[in-house]
Amino acid sequence: MVDEKTPIADADFIACVRELSQHVENGNIEEADRILDQIAKLRESSLFQELGKLTREFHNALNSFRLDARLASFAEKEFPNARERLRHVVTMTAQSADRSLTAAEESMPLCDSIENEASELKGQWERFSRREMSAEEFRRLSGRIGLFFEKAGSDAAHLRGNLNEVMMAQDFQDLTGQIIERVITLVDDMESGLVDLIRLSGQNLREQEPAEKKEEDLLKGTGPVVPGVDDAAPNIVSGQDEVDDLLSSLGF
Amino acid sequence: MDKNIKILVVDDFSTMRRIIKNLLRDLGFNNTAEADDGLTALPMLQAGSFDLLVTDWNMPGMQGIDLLKAVRADPKLAHMPVLMVTAEQKKEQIVEAAKAGVNGYIVKPFTAATLKEKLDKIFERMQASH
Repeated sequence: MVDEKTPIADADFIACVRELSQHVENGNIEEADRILDQIAKLRESSLFQELGKLTREFHNALNSFRLDARLASFAEKEFPNARERLRHVVTMTAQSADRSLTAAEESMPLCDSIENEASELKGQWERFSRREMSAEEFRRLSGRIGLFFEKAGSDAAHLRGNLNEVMMAQDFQDLTGQIIERVITLVDDMESGLVDLIRLSGQNLREQEPAEKKEEDLLKGTGPVVPGVDDAAPNIVSGQDEVDDLLSSLGF
Repeated sequence: MDKNIKILVVDDFSTMRRIIKNLLRDLGFNNTAEADDGLTALPMLQAGSFDLLVTDWNMPGMQGIDLLKAVRADPKLAHMPVLMVTAEQKKEQIVEAAKAGVNGYIVKPFTAATLKEKLDKIFERMQASH
């Protein structure tokens, strides 16, 4: 009649059944009915207790899930931000590669023309050394050498400019490095959040303290401003000019 | 202006240190040294006779802003000009750096012309105060 596994207090249950069988043997039907009702009640209250416990656990689980602001903020804010940050990294690396390639492409023809002119002049100079050159030819050669000296000077300056451009284009490594470090920190936080969640669901479910909102510590430095993520904030300066304005307003 | 002044360049990214050193060399300053954060920079500053500090803000170990404060707190270093070259561009941070006594503040990415301009300004003031 009563399943063994139903957690009615055993002693109560055994006592009831003994009493019941005695009443039945004695033909005391009214008393037997009363005992049967008692047994049914015992079982009912036990079921309700179990159901109540389950409900409470379910409620706690839902709450702790909802209350874990950290995980919620990952989903709502941090991950979309991380995506924007990584996109910005892609853009910056592409721009840098572009700048470097443009500077290199522009430099190649300069090197070619210096090389060609030098080798032609070398040939003519050798003819002159072997005294195979007329005075008229030499006058023309001398003019050409003068032009070459001038051009070599300006081409070298141009090449230096291009090399500087290649060098400055490498500034992306510092900036993207800082951005990527931030995303790595986010992934670490996410990992520990998930580990907490697993621990939480594996154990008795209990209500968790809401994760404290992490305020950015400005003194620690927060890395480069990423377009579409940080640049909308009113406290961000847009560039060097605004920095200079701000500092001069402070008496700099 | 004396091109032989000794300059310490502090940044945790070696590429940025190289860029700044190259730009400085281009401007005629060859006497430079490097450190990768405040913790390594401070003892170097205390031990060596540096004339100028160029530092990043966001670094592991000791941040640039803390290095600046440490420099200002050290009687031997207190008057050393400090130029901050950083990606930090929140107004509160710039004000914080100004309060801590920074002599110039450059936001990354920057140009060679900006570096030259800020250095010139620092040197002008150094000479005026001497």
